Amino acid sequence: MTEILELLDVRKSYEGHVAVAGVSFSVPAGSIFGLLGPNGAGKTTTIRMILDILAPDSGSIRMFGRPRQEADLGRVGYLPEERGLYRKMTVLDQLLFLAEIRGIKRRAALAEIEPWIERADLGAWAKRRIEELSKGMQQKVQLIGAVLHQPDLLILDEPFSGLDPLNQVLFRELLTEYRDRGRTVVLSTHGMELAERMCDRICLISKGRAVLSGELATVKAGYGGNAYLITAEGDLDRLREVPGVEQVAITGRTARILLSAATRGADLLERAIPFLRVSDFRSEEPSLEQIFLQVVRDEA
Amino acid sequence: MRLDHVTTIAKREYLIRVKTKAFWLSTLGLPILVLAATILPSLLLSMSSATERMVIIDRTGKVAPELKRAAAEEPDPTKGIGQGTKEKKSEIEFVFEAPKTDPAQQEKELDRRVLEREISAWILIDDAALASGRFSYRARSTSGFVTQSIVERRLSRAVQGLRLAQAGVDPARTEELMKSVELDTVRVSEEGGQREIGIAGAALAYIVFMMLFAAIQVWGQQVMTGILDEKTSRIVEVLVSAVKPFELMLGKLAGIGSVGLTQFSIWILTSAVVTSPGVAMYLAFLPKDAALPQIGIGVVFHIAVFFVLGFFLFSSFYAALGAAFNNIQEAQQTAAPLIFLLVVPVFFAPRLINDPDSTLSVVLSLVPIFSPLLMTLRLAIRMPPLWQVLLAEFLTASFVVVMVWAAARIYRVGILMYGKKPTFSELARWVRRT
Repeated sequence: MTEILELLDVRKSYEGHVAVAGVSFSVPAGSIFGLLGPNGAGKTTTIRMILDILAPDSGSIRMFGRPRQEADLGRVGYLPEERGLYRKMTVLDQLLFLAEIRGIKRRAALAEIEPWIERADLGAWAKRRIEELSKGMQQKVQLIGAVLHQPDLLILDEPFSGLDPLNQVLFRELLTEYRDRGRTVVLSTHGMELAERMCDRICLISKGRAVLSGELATVKAGYGGNAYLITAEGDLDRLREVPGVEQVAITGRTARILLSAATRGADLLERAIPFLRVSDFRSEEPSLEQIFLQVVRDEA
Repeated sequence: MRLDHVTTIAKREYLIRVKTKAFWLSTLGLPILVLAATILPSLLLSMSSATERMVIIDRTGKVAPELKRAAAEEPDPTKGIGQGTKEKKSEIEFVFEAPKTDPAQQEKELDRRVLEREISAWILIDDAALASGRFSYRARSTSGFVTQSIVERRLSRAVQGLRLAQAGVDPARTEELMKSVELDTVRVSEEGGQREIGIAGAALAYIVFMMLFAAIQVWGQQVMTGILDEKTSRIVEVLVSAVKPFELMLGKLAGIGSVGLTQFSIWILTSAVVTSPGVAMYLAFLPKDAALPQIGIGVVFHIAVFFVLGFFLFSSFYAALGAAFNNIQEAQQTAAPLIFLLVVPVFFAPRLINDPDSTLSVVLSLVPIFSPLLMTLRLAIRMPPLWQVLLAEFLTASFVVVMVWAAARIYRVGILMYGKKPTFSELARWVRRT
């Protein structure tokens, strides 16, 4: 698999504060890549360096299999976290403008815009001004603006924030379709559930450093075997006091539990039985969120 | 740098502004205001009320004949004047009525006629008034100053004539002797002497100067608010992922500058059209061999060059301000010294108009920050030596390049900086940083 994007020990600091302290990862072509991490981890700075909006202090960035060149950025689409559009322009004019600065001629742009507008259910709004649209609709317009020139690499910074569930599903579908057309998507998010459902590969950033990266399945396998699911009646909260338990997430009568590496499932069950009436107990693959929390906690 | 990026940005900036109602309101509003200011007053005056009838009671019997003569001779100042055209009689009609034996009764009667609007006023002339020079003017309204000044002038002429005659001087001869003198201003240029009205040349130069000043101010501010808008609406990050900040800034300056140039051209053209009736009227006053100040095509070209340079100079300042700060208030606080620089030429304008070739004028008009306004002013007065114009253009253009370069650096860093207001030393660091 060819690598569309490679970062090698990229660093960036602002006056007295290190934003990115050596991040390396690679993104294979035709995949959805998740750049994960808590707020302030350095995701946005990393993305801005990929796009040459900021210059890294050191490290190298390769794009499309060679050191990044200015022309390469023409093959990249971008949806920044700080979203914005010209409020006074109509949806159509706005998209035409965004297509034009990407070098697409008006007629070709119109042909490209139409199906997207239909797909995003914005047909009735095409001639309306941006300021009349809801936030979710504006976000859809901006996503369309980012893909009009059919970029080989689409970079989205927190694409799901501020979207209602319906639009989240739409975005997910659109991005998956885009990947299935052979393009590459890089998205940053702190929403682990979404990342887990969509990403083929991830890189987890914490405090400016990449702490975990690789294929999602591999990452999970690495943390597998020590997550359990208990369905029981009784005080599930008391599970937190059990030695060896690192995380407990309770929903209703079910608790998802992550154990320390040295603790076995059988030990947990043995200790839980005195205060719980267990109806179900099974080993589970850890969720990305569990891994995320554990890694971030270990870092701290 | 990619030119297509610059033109796409410029096109958007241009169209988005030219398509607004506000643009056309301000663009057409000014000529309409000029039209209103030049034509309406005389139009209104000439339309005001029908003939005003005034009764004159001359108890001395000496003033009335003089008054009749004065009224017949005097042209009406509220009407358009053209020598040789049929002179319009005044719309103020004097009705001479004989004094009655019972003055109190007659005065009461006249007051009644005023109140019933049969006449608009009446004036009593008696020996006491003649001696003191104060005549009682009784009217319903005493605010018609134009009418009053006409009446006053006619009365004065009549009384002066009477006094002169009494002193044994021929009034007609006095008038000839008392004629005032006028200055015939001649502008000496390469093409030879040409008579023209000095004040008109200065006025024209001043109008061009003020229009340029207003255009730079208004459109420079537009650059700043445009950039702040992109910053606050956060679209700028999408833009800089597609185009270089320098291209973005250049496109903005070119687009908004073109809007200013469009407006400036419309102003000049429409002012020429709407003021032409006024100018035609004005021309009638001129001596036959006088000419209006003339601006040659070369001068127009240089004025256009200085417009573009002036716009780029100040807009790049404004662009840097817009990029460096977070909101209009912060930016405007820092813009104050800049506006002061822009205003300095306004203080010197009268001195330059008075003596456009003095050392002070030449030196000031060569200083890059002042050149766009002051050299334009000198150009409008009379073509300065070509080397001075070219030197000013060269110096200003070089300064503009430096400014745009520095502004682009501030812009590049500033557009993605949110939050804290930067200090001047931080701005300087942004410029130095590669």
